[in-house]
Amino acid sequence: MERRNRMKTLKVIFLISVSLMIAGAAYAQDYPTKPVRMIVPFAPGGASDVVARILTPGLVKELGQQVLVDNRAGASGNIGVEVAARAPADGYTILLGNIGTMAINPGLFPKFPINPVRDFVAVTEVVDVPTSLAVHSSVPVKTVKEFIEYAKARPGKLNFGTAGPGSNGRFEMELFMRQTGIDLVHVPYKGGAGAAAIGLLAGEVQCGFQTLASIMAHVNSGKVKVLGIAATKRVAALPDVPIMPELGFANMKSGSWQGVYVPAGTPRPIVNKLFSAFIKVLSDPEVIKRLNSNGAEVVTSKSPEEFAVFMKTENEKWWKLVKEVGVVME
Amino acid sequence: MDIFNNLVFGFGIAFSLQNLLYCLIGVLVGTLIGVLPGIGPMATIAMLMPLTFNVPPVTALIMLAGIFYGAQYGGSTTSILVNLPGETSSVITCIDGYQMARQGRAGPALAIAAIGSFFAGTVCTLLIALFGPPIAELALKFNSPEYFSLMLMGLVAAAVLAQGDMIKSLAMVTVGLLLGIVGTDVDSGAQRFSFGIYELADGIGFVVVAIGVFAIAEIVSNLGDPEERMLSTLKVRNLFPTKEDLKQSIAPIFRGTAIGAFFGVLPGTGPAIASFSSYMVERKVARDPSRFGRGAIEGVAGPESANNADAQCKFIPMLTLGIPASGAMALMLGALMIHGIAPGPTVMTQKPDLFWGLIASMWIGNLMLVVLNLPLISIWVSLLKVPYRLLFPAIMVFSAIGIYSTNNATFDLYLTALFGVFGVVWRKLGCSPVPMMLGFVLGPMLEENLRRAMLISRGDPTVFITRPISLAFNIATVLILIVMAAPAVRKRWNKITG
Repeated sequence: MERRNRMKTLKVIFLISVSLMIAGAAYAQDYPTKPVRMIVPFAPGGASDVVARILTPGLVKELGQQVLVDNRAGASGNIGVEVAARAPADGYTILLGNIGTMAINPGLFPKFPINPVRDFVAVTEVVDVPTSLAVHSSVPVKTVKEFIEYAKARPGKLNFGTAGPGSNGRFEMELFMRQTGIDLVHVPYKGGAGAAAIGLLAGEVQCGFQTLASIMAHVNSGKVKVLGIAATKRVAALPDVPIMPELGFANMKSGSWQGVYVPAGTPRPIVNKLFSAFIKVLSDPEVIKRLNSNGAEVVTSKSPEEFAVFMKTENEKWWKLVKEVGVVME
Repeated sequence: MDIFNNLVFGFGIAFSLQNLLYCLIGVLVGTLIGVLPGIGPMATIAMLMPLTFNVPPVTALIMLAGIFYGAQYGGSTTSILVNLPGETSSVITCIDGYQMARQGRAGPALAIAAIGSFFAGTVCTLLIALFGPPIAELALKFNSPEYFSLMLMGLVAAAVLAQGDMIKSLAMVTVGLLLGIVGTDVDSGAQRFSFGIYELADGIGFVVVAIGVFAIAEIVSNLGDPEERMLSTLKVRNLFPTKEDLKQSIAPIFRGTAIGAFFGVLPGTGPAIASFSSYMVERKVARDPSRFGRGAIEGVAGPESANNADAQCKFIPMLTLGIPASGAMALMLGALMIHGIAPGPTVMTQKPDLFWGLIASMWIGNLMLVVLNLPLISIWVSLLKVPYRLLFPAIMVFSAIGIYSTNNATFDLYLTALFGVFGVVWRKLGCSPVPMMLGFVLGPMLEENLRRAMLISRGDPTVFITRPISLAFNIATVLILIVMAAPAVRKRWNKITG
């Protein structure tokens, strides 16, 4: 009895030392052996949080470990991004970043020590929440072209509502204004996309780039008109509404995208494992259905490299625009 | 008779075994998180939402709604027992509720809070059923100028009605307004008084301030004054309100319900305003305002009715227009969408089972909460018999857990401790933290709406008097000032002519 116990102990010690010796390769292969934490840099209930919570049940199945959603909200998502960037690069901390935290914020917060391109390994894009150019029903236009003409005739008279001075809805409109030469007044709202949607609904502002999810109900009731959608293909819920690239806005083909990241230095096998796990979860029809009904389209990258390239392009695009507009949030 | 048929139809749905069970789970969880400080209904709904993926949408919504309004019931419990606000909306209940507990009347305070909440819940459920859609349309008439004028009226009324030392009250309101400035500027995105600390970029949390100046300061004061400490473990006189208590509470419950319903349908008001306003009104109409702050039952009955009415009426814009009046409502809209239901005016006609089922379940849920809460009172009150040396570390621990779990940030704990120190200092100086909290709540909204109104009117201040609703609020503000100033002026006049 005692000998068997001792044998067991020896075996364990042997196993531990062996596994320590070949740690690098072996632990990546066994990964994950403990719960994985997914950092969501926004409050519970936000658009990112909902995506995270729709994805976790599938991830748990794929990875064979618990996946804990860790909401680290604050400072436009920077708090969560910093926590994730400073976590060990072992695959047990993943970040669900979005266009704001990973592409727009670097321009807004030049003193922020984390650089998303340098400090993270991009795994894959997961969803794109299409944004739409929406106008209040009182604005007598039916197409983007008519809207441009209408706005051109009234320079500085129309207002566009956003979720804040650093929100992507603001920069999308700034981009649109620069490309069309129209002049609208920026009216930021506190309290996220919901508050800006209410402002549009009440007619306090005449237009804005809004996620479809936040205005769909009002499109159905006729209080709000959607003129164009920033996406690569037409949206099933509004098949008659053209997408922005169709209308000649080639650089407006994604809305508020979200993707998965791990800290820089994470071993390649782990990145691959996470990549295939996410791809698998995102091909589950039930998951797709849930994401769709929340206004999000599933968009996955072909490889982690492709996502890294996409992210770099996005960073450059928004950095340039943020500098042009001249917003600094520090 | 249409409404009647619809309600019968709704009750038919709400009374199914599954729906009753989910309603019960919802209100139980809601009560629990209401009792715990910090953890609000929003975070809870977010975390429990995946559990509702596999049930019918009406069942999902019944449970999530239960969490939301259940929290309003639970929130008052710790406010009354140990001066620890469990929810944002129950901060004001600390004032007189806790004083009642110290006089051995925790039972009546808890009971009247539950009864008031139930009454408010019943009225507001009916309100949604009868007038939901037109009320919601009216709420859309409120733009920035209207919100600004409304908040201004609130602030002026609060300053005017403040009891005790006028100068101290004004000073405390100013402190609150200043605290509300911390964070990101809404227009430019510039950081104000955040000293490079990212945790301050979104401003100082309401819960952090409330727990610091109420709960922590209370504990420190109790420990510093051994005589006072004994008071909290005084003998409990009676568990249920006396006839006299009930008589005193009826009018405040009615008024609180009306005030709460008003603020509830306005999407741009936070959870604390309804209960604050109710408290101010009660103190104004009371024959003897000096009783307030010393355990006046009206100070519990009014605000507690108001916060439940507010919570219930937040459903009106959500259900009838698809407008989220608060973060928690946005989550419920999200839950609807996950189930493939497009929120908006069509929900009522296309998904009548959902609309009427939910309304009926809200009334059932309110009934469950009263039935749950009344017997619980004796248990809660017996908690006060726990020696203070054991009770206060428990309060500290629960506060800390609650604060940490709001943002998962240790910084918030340090900040709470700091506000605890402020709270103690203010107490020693005889400055009530209530005007400060009011300034802190109203300040940021006042600023945001003023700046937006100015932005949209391109800097034309007449916008506040050319829009009828805004004008009405401003006239009321002027009247309040006149009524307040009149006695003083008359006195002066009499002296001069005298």
